[in-house]
Parts: sequence; structure tokens; C-alpha cells
Amino acid sequence: MRRQIPEMFLGVGFVGIMTTLFLGLNWAPSVSIDAFESPAAQRIFYWHVPSAWAAFIAFGVLFTGSALWFFKRSPFGWRLHVAGTEAGLACGLMTVWSGCVWGAAEWGTPWDWTDVRLNTFGLLTLLALFLVLGRQSQPDGVETRDTFSSFGLYGFVLVPLTYIATRIWQIRHPGPVIGAGDGGGSLQSSMALVLLIGALSFTLFIIGHMMISMRITHLEQRLEHAQKSLDGGN
Amino acid sequence: MVVQSANGRFDVGLQSRTSMAASLLSLVDLEVRRGMTVVLTGFNLEVASKDVVVLHGENGSGKSTIIESCARLLPLEAGSVHHHGSLVVDSEGRRFLAKKPFGLTLQSNGLLGDETVENHLSTVCSLSGMKAELLPTLEAYGLTHRRFDRIGQLSGGQARKVAVLAGLLPAMISPQPRLVLLDEPDSGLDDNALAALISDIGKLREAGHAFVIASHHPEIMKCATRLHNLESETIQEQPKCQPWQALGTQEKVSLLSTKTGHRYLRSTRAGLARNGLTALLVLGTLLAFIDPVSFDKTILVGFVLAAPFAAGLAGDPVVYLMREQRAVDWWRAHVNRLPAADFLAPVLGFILTVIGCVLFLDTINWKLSLVGAGVLWVTLLCVRFIELSTLRLARPNAVFIRLLLPILILPWALVVEYAAIL
Repeated sequence: MRRQIPEMFLGVGFVGIMTTLFLGLNWAPSVSIDAFESPAAQRIFYWHVPSAWAAFIAFGVLFTGSALWFFKRSPFGWRLHVAGTEAGLACGLMTVWSGCVWGAAEWGTPWDWTDVRLNTFGLLTLLALFLVLGRQSQPDGVETRDTFSSFGLYGFVLVPLTYIATRIWQIRHPGPVIGAGDGGGSLQSSMALVLLIGALSFTLFIIGHMMISMRITHLEQRLEHAQKSLDGGN
Repeated sequence: MVVQSANGRFDVGLQSRTSMAASLLSLVDLEVRRGMTVVLTGFNLEVASKDVVVLHGENGSGKSTIIESCARLLPLEAGSVHHHGSLVVDSEGRRFLAKKPFGLTLQSNGLLGDETVENHLSTVCSLSGMKAELLPTLEAYGLTHRRFDRIGQLSGGQARKVAVLAGLLPAMISPQPRLVLLDEPDSGLDDNALAALISDIGKLREAGHAFVIASHHPEIMKCATRLHNLESETIQEQPKCQPWQALGTQEKVSLLSTKTGHRYLRSTRAGLARNGLTALLVLGTLLAFIDPVSFDKTILVGFVLAAPFAAGLAGDPVVYLMREQRAVDWWRAHVNRLPAADFLAPVLGFILTVIGCVLFLDTINWKLSLVGAGVLWVTLLCVRFIELSTLRLARPNAVFIRLLLPILILPWALVVEYAAIL
């Protein structure tokens, strides 16, 4: 039963995400047509914000794993690093893609290079892509792990920067929705409920994803160890 | 006479025990990993003046790892490396320049194909703060007629001779004892060059210099005073011979990295080929679709500064050149600041911005041109920093380093907004 926990997380998370999508598109109330250029596109919000939240969790795991490997040489830390990069890439791409669609409808442009938050989040996603592709291009070893975990540590500076960017350099992107510190702001209770379901579902999904990713990395390491043993025996 | 030492993997050299003060190299409790394998653990070695330590053993036993650790090229899991009693690298990540120059020949030659033999060897002398007449040395190795040729035009064996000479030169030119690290110096050498090398090692040893050599060659092993198989050590007596007479005279050297970078670029034109052409292509592409009259000034300034920005994103051409034959590692061993396109970057940035001004603004804006020079220089520095961060990887060319470069777009956009009001 314990071995099935990651799959359970993935399954429950997936069902929750689908529910969020359904509720967001069909049940949640529409926003005022005066407040938005494209009110219908606002429903992307129920996908965009939870995926960004999950991406930040994944980037947090990436940072923790990088620090554990870099300072403690912990194999568990490296597995966290790998899981964090893959999950961060997946959620980062979901956030960027949904944001681009929403931005194109609402602002008339999918991307704004002068918006600090967009840039820092985009860069975090590119960092995750760099780490995933880089890891695949290199043989596993301390050189690879040291280099990529140091990039993971540098990259994490962007996480708090991204969060506070809208408060300091807000140009187009609205302020933070989760943890805004102003009592939740202007969200109606039904909208907040859908958003909450989305955030919880994405959280469960990403935790399940990372647990499975760590298991796969562990198996890869065992396989490589076994192959090296065979090489030594020849 | 051959004497088996009291032995042990962690033994220190018998000769050096008597004179720690004269130690040219100390490896203390060294632990080094390569890949996921611990290649060396708890390894100690003391090398004193007049020692010739030849490391031999099976492939993969760690000979090159020792040489590269001594040259501060590998990070240490544990322990420390000292040259002439001063720390050069340790497991805490501290990495200091060796206070006294040392000779290094890597298994890959560490040479740039576009350098001439003369230029490369002169640079080696300059790294020691000296100059020397190289002709007699080149003659001994049969390279006199190739003195002014580019290394890329030499045969593999001739290039190896240059690499070996570059390793020996710091000792050859110095009247003070110097450390020389040679990794498989015999590979590719003909009989005459090998005889010259063995003769030179003997003479330099008599003059007080010390060697650590990784080799399986029986002739090289014969000239060792200490044969080390990484487990135990054998002491060998060597006959007396005429000591080497130092060739060099002191020379004041400044801005060596900048000058070397400039020389590399002058001889290869890599700066123009990579950075210049990239920028010109950007200008050409913009011109193909854009009518400058129909845009406001901020956008036009953006077009003007796009060229130096693109040239900077192409990266430091000197770093690109130095990836050949691990030249970058050879340099990293000797200096803290690698040769760079310090001179090219602002000049090219200035010129490109002037061209952009003429094309898009119909006038030359000198202030904007200075901003363009700065844009190229800063962008190049950032790209260079990111590229050098991945040098430790087994396959540094295979990483998608340019995925991280969009971080520079926002600062560039802010500079464009600022420059538009100049």
C-alpha cells in the first residue's frame, strides 16, 4: 500500500485538476465586463495560478535538493534536485503557456519583455529546461551534479524575486493572489473555492509526480551501478 | 641502486622527509572523485627540490588525476595541495594562484592551433615574468624551422614537442627551483626528442627543479628518483650530470590575459567571424523589413542597440577558441583570469552602434555609441561567466547554456529606454 502512495497522489491530483478545469470553465461566476478586456479568458486564471503555485513548490524542492547535494553531497538531495527540475519544468511550461494565452486575450500581447515577473518566471522555467536537458547530455558524476546544483542554487534567487516583483515593478501583471497579505483581496467565495481546489489538486499532483521521479532516478542510479559492476567484471 | 621504501599508500618521499622546508609540492590527504568514482583517497605526496617522481600504474589508477589536482584543475573532496609551502587548492573550495610559476603539460596538449610556436612559448615565459632566447631549446627538439609556424600546421608529434617544451620552460628559464608537472610527455615523441627530454630532465633536476611525471615509458621511468605506483614507492639513485644553466632574464609583464586574448583574436579573427558577423546579420535582417521613418525613437534606438547586444550574446570568442585541446584548462592552471576579448568588446560595440545610428537614426550619436560599447562589453562578460561556469562538465559543449541568456533581455530593454532620451 505504501508503495502506491505516489500513484494515489497523482490520481487524486489529476481528478482534482480536471474538476478545477470543469468548475472554472462552467461553474465559477463570470467577471465584470468592465474590469477585463476579455472576461471569458479570465477563466484561464483557475489553471494559471494553481500551476504557478505548483511550479513554486517544485522550484522550492529543486533548491532544497541542490543545497543538500552541494553542501552535504546527499544522494537523496540529488534525487530531489532531479524531481524538482522535471516538475518545475512541467508546471512552469503550463503557467507560461496559459499566461501567454491569457495575456494575448487580455493585454493584446502574449509576452512583455519589460515585465519583471514574467521575465523572472520565464527564466525559472528556462532554468528548469536547461537543467533537464543538461542532465540528459552529461554522464552522471560529481562534476555534473556540482555544476547543475550550483545553477539550481543561483536560480532560486529568482523565486522570491518573482514573488515580490509585482509589488515593486508591477507593469502589466496583477499582484499576488496566493498569500497576498491583504485578506484575500477581491475574490468572490465561489471563485476562491475553485482556486483552492485547483491549488490543492496541483499540489497533490506535483508531489506525486516528484515522488515517482525520485523513484525513477533511484532506479537509474541502481542500474548504472549494476552496469559499472558488470564493466568491472569484464 | 634501487631501494624499496618502507612503503604504504600514504607514505611521504624519503628525500623530502629530511627537508620539508624545500618542499616544492605537498599533497595532503587528497581525495578526488571523477564521475561517481573516488579515484584517490587519503593520498599524500611530498616533492622536494631535485625529486623526479614518476607515477606509473594501470590506466584509470589516478595518475592524470594527481597531475591535474597538483595543477589545481580538479576540485578536491578532501585534503589540500600546496606549492612551495603555500596553499593553492583545498577541499573547502579555496583556490589560490601558485606564488611561484610551474610547468604543466597536460595529456591533451593545451595548445591553440592558431598560435605560432614562438608566441606560445614566449607566453609561457611571460607567465613566469621572464623572457628567454628560445632558439637553442627549439633546436634540441628539432623545431627551429617551425618556430614561426602555427601550431595547427604542425604534425601531432611536433605539437606534442611544443606542449612538452611549454611544460619544461618555467624550469628552463628560472635559476630558482621550479615544479614541473608532465602528463604522459613521451606520447608521440620521436627517439631524438625523447632523448632530449630525458637529458633535460636530468640537467634540470641537477639544477634543483622537481618533476612529477605520469608515464609508463621505460626510459622515463629510468630517469626517476622516485618511482611511485600510487600504492608504494621505490627510490632510485641517479648519476650526477651537468646542471642546467637558466636561460631567462627578468621581464616586467602586465595585462598578460588581455594581451593574449587580443593576440588570439588578431591571429584568428574569431571576434569578427563570430560576434561581428552575428551583429551585422541582425542589422541586415532588421533593415530588410523595417522602414526607419515609420517608428518612434525608442524603437529605433532598440534596433541600434540590438546589434551590439546580439554580438555580446554570441559569447566571448576567446573562450570559444580556448576550448581547443583543453587550452582553457592549461590557462586555468596558471592564471586566475583567463585571456578575454577585453579590447575587442568595447571597440566592436562602438563601431556596430555607429553603423546602427547611421542606418536607423540617420546621424551619429556619440553618447549612444558609448552605450553600445558598454552593452556589448557587459553582455559578453555575462555570457562568458555563464559559459565558464559549465567548464567542469564532462561535455561542456553539450549543455544548452543559451537557454539562460534571456535573463539579459530585460536589462537591455531598460538600457534602450534610458538611451532613447540621450
